[in-house]
Amino acid sequence: MRFMIIMKADKNTEAGVMPSERVLTEMGNFNEELVKAGIMLAGEGLHPSSKGARVKFSGGKQTVTDGPFAETKELIAGFWMWEVKSKEEAIEWVKRIPNPDNTDFEVEIRQVFAAEDFGAELTPEAREQEERLRAQLAAKQ
Amino acid sequence: MRFMMLMIPKGYETAEPGTVPDAAAVAAMMKYNESLQKAGVLLALDGLHPPSMGARVSFPGGKPKVTDGPFAEAKEVLGGYWMIQVKSREEAIEWASRCPASENEIIEVRQVQEMSDFPADVQEAAAGFAEMQTRSGQSQGA
Repeated sequence: MRFMIIMKADKNTEAGVMPSERVLTEMGNFNEELVKAGIMLAGEGLHPSSKGARVKFSGGKQTVTDGPFAETKELIAGFWMWEVKSKEEAIEWVKRIPNPDNTDFEVEIRQVFAAEDFGAELTPEAREQEERLRAQLAAKQ
Repeated sequence: MRFMMLMIPKGYETAEPGTVPDAAAVAAMMKYNESLQKAGVLLALDGLHPPSMGARVSFPGGKPKVTDGPFAEAKEVLGGYWMIQVKSREEAIEWASRCPASENEIIEVRQVQEMSDFPADVQEAAAGFAEMQTRSGQSQGA
């Protein structure tokens, strides 16, 4: 099962404050463990929302608003993509995220949709299209 | 430059476990996904099961605390994402605007951090990360 492990933003990530060398080193070691365990599929950090934008869809029109966005708690700062056997296993790994400064941060764990999660609403054509798309993306890795 | 397009669907914060999008919405979205792929900009994409099937872990005083979804106070939640490679922020916003999104959906466009975006000392401390991403990408094909 794949899970997206979402690091929520806080005032430091939104201010573009760099993590300390200690945090970076420990995070690097943690990522190495994830790779060795065969769990790590992807991991990225995002620039603060001040560099971003939002597109809102309403009444057939799109409205673009530049960041930053006010509700810091609702924003994301980065993510991992992990392949694990269960939500419980994902939670166990999340508990081990390095935190040398004992800060409070929030991580959200969300299961990724797989083809087998869909019923008839994913037609055979759509399934084939989806598989083809995934194969093309994997070839790009 | 890489950007994430984050789909924030209105109402997904209260969606029941097992909620799936309907066939028409999936078909329209697959057309859009194909257009991203054909343009050569698509790097990755995924849909997420609703927060009612997820969990949150916070670390008060540095100790992990697990809360199962749904999350009462959340007004916005992630429904899915695309990762694209484009020449500019404007191009990313243009692609986001073409998404066959539903009424009152929001797509947030966020630039992905590249190693070269960081100062030298940070790059040094994070050395090996890019290689780790490649290795993990290779194991994805396994």
